[in-house]
Amino acid sequence: MQEVMRRASRHRSVALAVVIAAALYVLVPFALRGNLYLMSLVVASLTIGGIAVAWALLGNLGGLISFGHAAFFGIGSYASAILVMKSGWPIFPAMLAGGICASLAAVLVLPALRLKGPYFALAVLAYAHIFRIVATEWKALTGGAGGIGSIPRFPVLLGFDFASKTGAYWIILSLVLAFALIHFYVRNSDYGLALRAMHDSEEATRAVGVNSLLLKAMMLFLSAFMTGMVGAFNAHYINFLEPDYAFSGLWTMLPIVAAIFGGYRTITGPLVGAVVVYLLDQLVFKAVMPIGHQIMLGAMLGAMILWNAGGLLPAIAGWWRRHRGPLAPHA
Amino acid sequence: MLEIANIGVRFGGLRVLDDVSLQVGEGEIVGLVGPNGAGKTTLFNVISGTVPHQAGTLNFGGSRLDAMPAYGRARCGIGRAFQIPQPMHALTVAENVHVAQRFGAGRVDRRAQAEILDLVGLTDKAQRDAATALSLTELKALEVAKALAISPRILLLDEVLAGLEAHGKRMFTQLLAEVHARYRIAILIIEHDIETISALCPRVAVLNFGKLIADGAPAAVFRDPAVVASYTGVPADA
Repeated sequence: MQEVMRRASRHRSVALAVVIAAALYVLVPFALRGNLYLMSLVVASLTIGGIAVAWALLGNLGGLISFGHAAFFGIGSYASAILVMKSGWPIFPAMLAGGICASLAAVLVLPALRLKGPYFALAVLAYAHIFRIVATEWKALTGGAGGIGSIPRFPVLLGFDFASKTGAYWIILSLVLAFALIHFYVRNSDYGLALRAMHDSEEATRAVGVNSLLLKAMMLFLSAFMTGMVGAFNAHYINFLEPDYAFSGLWTMLPIVAAIFGGYRTITGPLVGAVVVYLLDQLVFKAVMPIGHQIMLGAMLGAMILWNAGGLLPAIAGWWRRHRGPLAPHA
Repeated sequence: MLEIANIGVRFGGLRVLDDVSLQVGEGEIVGLVGPNGAGKTTLFNVISGTVPHQAGTLNFGGSRLDAMPAYGRARCGIGRAFQIPQPMHALTVAENVHVAQRFGAGRVDRRAQAEILDLVGLTDKAQRDAATALSLTELKALEVAKALAISPRILLLDEVLAGLEAHGKRMFTQLLAEVHARYRIAILIIEHDIETISALCPRVAVLNFGKLIADGAPAAVFRDPAVVASYTGVPADA
C-alpha cells in the first residue's frame, strides 16, 4: 500500500515537473515577447542559475564548498570560443567540449580534495586566480587582456534562430533543467546515498568500502563540466570574452548567493534563488538604489539566513506542509 | 588468513605498536585484550587502513594490504565495527546496510539485507533515522550489521560490548556467537570483560605498551604472570 502511494506521489511529481517545464518553455517567451530587456535579464538569471545548480551539486553531494567556480566558467567559455574560432568547430559540440575542458582542468584541483571546509574553498579560489592570469598572459591563444571579440553567435537550426533572445533562453533553460535532472538522478542513486553518508561520517563510509575520494572527484568533475557548459553558452551569447570578465569572482559570488538564498540542499532551490535574486536586484534594488544596490542583495541574503537558514524553497515547503500536507520529497 | 607480521607504529616519538605479530585463521574467533593505551584500537586501525604502519607487513587471504586504502580492505572482506558507533547519520538504518552492501560487497541483495537486519534485531527500525532513532545497544547492532553487509571474511569488533548493561552484553554475546555460527567468518574482538571474552573466544592475545605479550587459550593466558602484571601493575617477579 505504502509502495503504491509512493509510486502515485512520484507520478504526480513527474507530471507536475513536466507541466512546469512546458510552461517555462512556452509561457515565458510568450509573456515577454517584444521585451528584449526583460528577456535578457531572464537569460542572465538562468546563466547564474546554471552555475548555482552546479555549485550546489558539489556542495550538497560532494560536501565541498568552492569559491573558485569562476575558473570552470572561464575555461569553458574560452575553450568553446577558441574551438569555434580557431578550429572551425560547430558551436554546440564546442560547448560540450568547453564543459569537458573545464572538467579536465578540475583534475588540477584533485590534490585539494583532501582538504576540508574553508581550506578547500580557499585552495580553489587561488586556482581560479591562476587561470585568470594564464588567460591574460597566453596572448597567442586567448588574445591576452584585450580578449576575444566577435565570437560566433548561436546558429539558425531548422529555421529557428538560436541567436535570438528566445533561442538563447531555450538553450540555457534546457541546460539548467538537464543539470537539475542529473542532480536528481545522482542524488537518488546508490552513489547519492554514499555521498550523503560521507558528509559527517567519511571514516564510516570508507570502512564499508566507499571510495570517498573518487566520489568527491566525480562530483567535482560533474560540477566543473556543468559550469564550463554554462560558460561556453555565455561566450556565444555575449560574443565577447576577456579574462577579467570570464574569470570574474562574480561568477562565483552570485551563484553562491543564489544557491544559499534558494536552498542549496534542494535541487531546484539554487535555480529559483538565481531567478529571484537576480531579477529583484536588477528590477527593484537597482531602481531604488542605482549605486550600491548590492547592499540590498546582501541584506536580503542575511535576512533569509536569519529567517530560514535552509533557504527559500525549504521555507515554502515547510509552510506548505503546515497548511496543506506533505510535498514531494527532494523538491 | 590474516597475517600481521612485525608491525610497528610510531606517533611522533611515541612507539604505539612494537614488532606485533599475530595470525587469525579462517573462521577463528580471537579476543584481543590489554590495558587502556595498550595499542589495541591502533592495531585495528592499522588492519583496516586508517593508520599507516612504519614497519612490518600485513597479508590478508594471500593479498598484501600494506599499500591498500581503507575502502579496498573493506572490499577484500575486512569488516569493522567501531568502539564509538559511527552510523552514517544522514541515512536510515536500512540505507546504512544498503550502502555497506552495495559498496563493500559490490552487489545489492535485498533478501540478505533483510536477513542481516533481522539477525541484529533492527527490522522494526529499518526505516528510522540512524542518527536519532537508535539506543546505544541498537547503534552497536547497526555497527555489526554494516560490517556484515560487506560480506566479510573477518570482523574486527572494537569493544562492541562496552557501555552495555548486563542484559545487553548477554544479548550481544549471543548475537556474535550466532553471527559466527551462521556465516563462519573469523572474528577479532577487543573486549575488557574477561568473563565474556573467555566464553566467546577459544584464543586470546594480549597487548601491553604496544607489545604482544601473550597469545593462547584464555585460561592459560589470564594466568600468565606477564598478563597479570600488565593489568595489576605489579611486576611478575615481585
